[in-house]
Amino acid sequence: MTGNRLRAEGLVLTYEDRTVVDGLDLEIPDGQVTVIIGPNACGKSTLLRALGRLLKPRRGSVLLDGTELARIPTKRVAQEIGLLPQTPVPPEGITVSELVTRGRQPHHKWWQQWTEADEKAVTEAMDRTETGDLAERPVDELSGGQRQRAWIAMALAQDTDLLLLDEPTTYLDIAHQVEVLDLVRQLNRERGRTVVVVLHDLNQAARYADHLIAMKAGRIVAQGAPGDVITGDLVQEVFGLASVVVPDPVTGGPLVVPGAPGSTDRSARIGRHG
Amino acid sequence: MTRPVGFAVLRVGRASFLLHRRAALVAVLLGAALALAAVAYLCVGESFVGPAEVVRVLWGQPSPDAFVVGTLRMPRLAVGLLAGAAFGLAGSFVQTVARNPLASPDVIGVTQGAGAATVAAMTFGVAAYDTLPYISIVGGLAAAALVYVFAWRRGLHASRFVLIGIGISVALGSLTQLFLTKGDFLVAQQAKVWLTGSLNGRGYDHAAPLASILLVLTPALLWAARAQRSVSFDDDTATALGVRLGRVRLGLIVLGVVLASVATAAAGPVDFVALLAPQIARRLSRTAQIPLLGSALTGALIVTVADLLARKLFSPIELPVGVFTAVVGAPYLMWLIVRTRSRSGGPA
Amino acid sequence: MSRATLRRATLRRAPLRRAPLRRVTRRRVGPAAGGAILLALAGLLVLAVLLSLAVGSRQIAPSVVIDALTHGGGSDDAQVVRSLRVPRTLIGVMAGVALAVAGTVMQGITRNPIAEPGILGVSQGASVGVVCAIAFLGVHSLTGYVWFAFAGAGIAAVAVYVIASGGRGGATPVKLALAGTAMNALLASLVSGITTTDAQALDEFRFWHVGSLSGRSAEIAGQTWPFLLAGLLLVLAMARGLDALALGEDVAKGLGHNVPLLRILGGLGATVLTGVAVAAAGPIAFTGLAVPHIARAIVGTDHRWVLPAAALLGPVMLLVADVIGRVVFPPSEVPVAVTTALLGVPFLIALVRRKATVAA
Repeated sequence: MTGNRLRAEGLVLTYEDRTVVDGLDLEIPDGQVTVIIGPNACGKSTLLRALGRLLKPRRGSVLLDGTELARIPTKRVAQEIGLLPQTPVPPEGITVSELVTRGRQPHHKWWQQWTEADEKAVTEAMDRTETGDLAERPVDELSGGQRQRAWIAMALAQDTDLLLLDEPTTYLDIAHQVEVLDLVRQLNRERGRTVVVVLHDLNQAARYADHLIAMKAGRIVAQGAPGDVITGDLVQEVFGLASVVVPDPVTGGPLVVPGAPGSTDRSARIGRHG
Repeated sequence: MTRPVGFAVLRVGRASFLLHRRAALVAVLLGAALALAAVAYLCVGESFVGPAEVVRVLWGQPSPDAFVVGTLRMPRLAVGLLAGAAFGLAGSFVQTVARNPLASPDVIGVTQGAGAATVAAMTFGVAAYDTLPYISIVGGLAAAALVYVFAWRRGLHASRFVLIGIGISVALGSLTQLFLTKGDFLVAQQAKVWLTGSLNGRGYDHAAPLASILLVLTPALLWAARAQRSVSFDDDTATALGVRLGRVRLGLIVLGVVLASVATAAAGPVDFVALLAPQIARRLSRTAQIPLLGSALTGALIVTVADLLARKLFSPIELPVGVFTAVVGAPYLMWLIVRTRSRSGGPA
Repeated sequence: MSRATLRRATLRRAPLRRAPLRRVTRRRVGPAAGGAILLALAGLLVLAVLLSLAVGSRQIAPSVVIDALTHGGGSDDAQVVRSLRVPRTLIGVMAGVALAVAGTVMQGITRNPIAEPGILGVSQGASVGVVCAIAFLGVHSLTGYVWFAFAGAGIAAVAVYVIASGGRGGATPVKLALAGTAMNALLASLVSGITTTDAQALDEFRFWHVGSLSGRSAEIAGQTWPFLLAGLLLVLAMARGLDALALGEDVAKGLGHNVPLLRILGGLGATVLTGVAVAAAGPIAFTGLAVPHIARAIVGTDHRWVLPAAALLGPVMLLVADVIGRVVFPPSEVPVAVTTALLGVPFLIALVRRKATVAA
């Protein structure tokens, strides 16, 4: 079938001499929200960086529409794939509206810096992320949630079919986390964008993913619909954590509750640490 | 919201440009200030020439003061303006790429490299006078390459880059002294005057190569103005936005080093202009990156005013302009050190 | 946990956490080995002194040198040795001792591996003090202007340290170096401003731009030694304190040292020593940087051994640098400050590349 736009084949990713991902095949389903989960240092962010051509594979390749990503001019890639790193650093003193405008950079020619398409994309990105009120504020002075919204607005203004987000909820409180993830899902539902998100919260992943990829030590342990993937055994295998999976009272999806069945929460914790 | 806040849109047919309003206004004001400073510069000297008379000479009308203004003061002003602008641009490029206001060509050894090469050429008598600017460029590039090579160790750590740069610039300064000792007395005297960063005795033959190189580089400067915006993010974000980081960085650095070296060849190592001008221009314009035009104008303004003071303040004795720029620039550098917030390290 | 256990625990942990200066934190030499090393270094110094007396635009055989020193004699060679080379060598030895010990103390009290009178602008400060004294107050004798050298050095040292300590992260090596660079540039331009405006004395002033051992009379050595001795005694008295400080401020406090007092006295000692060196030989950089590191590499980290070793090595480096400067471009002489910088910079680069902590 392989009608999917973004694929990886035989991917080997290394930092200096340390191999982080070794021989990984992957397909990102079009038009869905894919969430990658896994314990710290399992290679999930590294994988995302490779999918967004920030990291060159040592071997194997990432394919966009069947063409090796490394062979496509980086500006062309930027017109198809938007990516938000985990901790992006803004230019000092930049305002929110200018930051969002920078997202249009891949579409600019030197003599066309502000077209109607630019205006439309920027306006829409700011509307969606509700950053219109912040337009004049410097990004440095925003709160964590506001700042994250501004960055997402920039990625949205890039107007790409594929959007990669590396732990977009880090440093946010629970309300802002939900807000950001709701926004991500809304983007996918309304515009049919393909979104790949790296998350570390299992339950958030279960709730927001259409397609879930569980990684451990540089390889994929399981993937598929969250209801199929998330089981007590998987959590034990991937995170080394005893847990019970129950139906989420809100969505009916899987909900992971840490602790060994039949014991109290307290003893489970002691068991883990002692 | 129809356009980014603070920007105006210029449309010509299908072409469209974004103009930072405040930066444009600041550039206009700086230009006006520079024009005033230039006229003042031409008025003041051993004999005072009225502004009206200066303007007459500038328009090419016959005037009794044509010699003093047109022949004595104009060439020196031209060197000061061009060198100041070049230093301002150079500082802007290097600081942008390093993402660090402390990394300016005169702190990390570029101007010292240009200086050492030029003095070596002078004292060993290998170079004809008009090749000096090119030797200077070679020296500046070599110094930058040296800093790069020594500072590279599994990536380019910003502080290691600055520390090595300081070391290399001290070594090159000493090397310059060494060449001075070696050289013929007269040449050494001449080289010493040049080394203090003085505009005394500079003429059109110094300004000409500087002007021609700036002219040749104009297309590159237009490219750089756009490129500067794209490297002001962290590496990942910039790459995600489709920027070819390696190329853009290299291009900007080479451009910065060449400009600093050429300016050094013309005016000598005028300290701290490349450090000061970009930061002042950025604070005035309140832009997210260093405004190029503003930085060039600020550099020219600093050098012109400093040389005006250097000529007049202790007259009849003339101080080297570098003394004045250092007296202003060094405390500014100290202030920068005190208020640095450590932003993400990133490659320098 | 008892107090003692607590203290031992801190002691064990502290070197890992907060002693960026040393890789081997508590390496020591025994008295016998240390004595032998110092004796060897003293031998090295004697060789350097002989070299400095014998080599120059006029080569003089070592036997003639020794003869001239012990029996006098009126030959030209003997004259040159006694009236030119002996004072020059003497001043070289004194400046070398002063700079090396000052560098050791500065690295100790700032706990910073690149602290050094030249890099931190302290030498340039002393230089400005002297120039001001000569230009504005008409003080021309060393015993007169040495006080201004002290004052200048002290002000520059305090200013640089305060500036570098401001902002986030305290006085890191980069911030110290940058503050020193700024201070050097500022002071150098002050000196050149003063010297340009006071053209008649330009020649006398040129000396204060670039340190040199040439043309200094024996009288200067005679006037300098009491200050040198005072500075050295001050520093030697606090050797144990420096050892404690190397383990971290808190540990030093825990061991019963008065840390602020240590810093003030150390700073005072370093300032006096730098002032002495500058008053005698002008600003000379990098001797104070390289020598302490070499000394520590040889005798370990105990300051009761490091200080004497540095005091013996400093003059060796300075005299060798001076001899090199005399022979590279005869008949002209390269000022010793130029050669020490050229020898010292590769050392700085190696240091910065080797130690991750320097670049932090």
